[in-house]
Amino acid sequence: MKAVIFNGARDADPVIAAIESSLIKLLTREGWEVDVVALREKQIAGCLGCFGCWVKTPGICVIDDYGREITRKIVHSELMIWLTPVTFGGYSSELKKALDHSIPILLPYFESYNGQVHHKMRYETHPKLIVIGTEPLHAEYEETFLALTGRNALNVRPPKHAAGVFRKNEDLGKTLPFVEDLLRKVEVTS
Amino acid sequence: MSQPKTVLLLNGSPKCEKSNSRQIGKFLSAKLEEKGLKPEEAFIARLIKSPQGTEKLSKLVDQADIVVFTTPLYVDSIPSFTIKAMEMIRDHRVVEPQVEKPLLVAVMNCGFPEKEHMEIALKIIKNFAEEASLRWGGAVSVAMGEALNGEPLSESGGMTRNLTKGLSLAAASLAEGQPIPLEAEELTSKSFLPLFLAKSMLRVFGKRMWNNQAKGNGDKPDMYARPYESGR
Repeated sequence: MKAVIFNGARDADPVIAAIESSLIKLLTREGWEVDVVALREKQIAGCLGCFGCWVKTPGICVIDDYGREITRKIVHSELMIWLTPVTFGGYSSELKKALDHSIPILLPYFESYNGQVHHKMRYETHPKLIVIGTEPLHAEYEETFLALTGRNALNVRPPKHAAGVFRKNEDLGKTLPFVEDLLRKVEVTS
Repeated sequence: MSQPKTVLLLNGSPKCEKSNSRQIGKFLSAKLEEKGLKPEEAFIARLIKSPQGTEKLSKLVDQADIVVFTTPLYVDSIPSFTIKAMEMIRDHRVVEPQVEKPLLVAVMNCGFPEKEHMEIALKIIKNFAEEASLRWGGAVSVAMGEALNGEPLSESGGMTRNLTKGLSLAAASLAEGQPIPLEAEELTSKSFLPLFLAKSMLRVFGKRMWNNQAKGNGDKPDMYARPYESGR
């Protein structure tokens, strides 16, 4: 089974690095093949909003760069993990440049889902999703962040999803139980 | 705050001049120009590409009295390059604290009929304003913004009548250095059509609209293609 970790740190962030290490340790112990993508090292053009991935080359971004690899990795994984410093209550620009390339996994067509209009899904199966934010500047950012992950789940339709925020000043040794709890919630570990 | 003199129309859409959010922002800045404010326009998609551009971006924000920040909704939030600009503006204003705190108004549009899709993204922009020492001036959120088709807003009525009325009210407050009133926020976020009708139309005619766009590109592609299916 394949897991992909999208690391959205803006720099050599020790907290995100510790969480990433804990994830790799626990997932490999469970027999997962783990692929880590350090997004700040990848050239990914911003989404043009052209909808070419829907009407010109359905399912493929019209820009030929690492963004296409992002889409492929999402489709080919059973578990997707997003790591980001909580940024204004949302995601860093580094993580977002990957997520903007999740559009090709959707169809342009609409459907009613959970009481609101959303896009239909292009593929039949989708990876489970874990979203981890670190060091929110304010306590209320955590609420916004978790609400955002919930909305994303409505759009990428993971069979299971979980999200958590690792707070400032916490002992990095606590990343292991923190991550273990999230993996248990998406039934990756028992 | 003293009477504002300048307004920066800060465009966070990759479509730049062709964006729907720009047309909404343009209407607002034109109203402010009528009230004597000097407008300036900047496109993040272009400025973010160079260090000189990002430096200019920060300076433009520092020098403005009002920033009308326009952006589309992208994956429940804001386009990545626009978040990058927000990070840079915040970093700049933390390192070099400014005496003046421009008023920031968020103008957002999305293609869905429900305004609720934009609530979290607007909170994110509000949090940015706080971190970057900008005064929160309120939000204009326009659902089904695609219906504007990149055309200038008209005051002559029709489906945008509540939007233009709300923007005019917003301009009156902003020109006095005050955030936009709740009434203006509510008017601008009113659906162009009754919600049940907008939802039904999108489901029924949305498919035809996308298929027509695809046909316009020559050979009609397989809209349901799954190019990454193999090798799973």
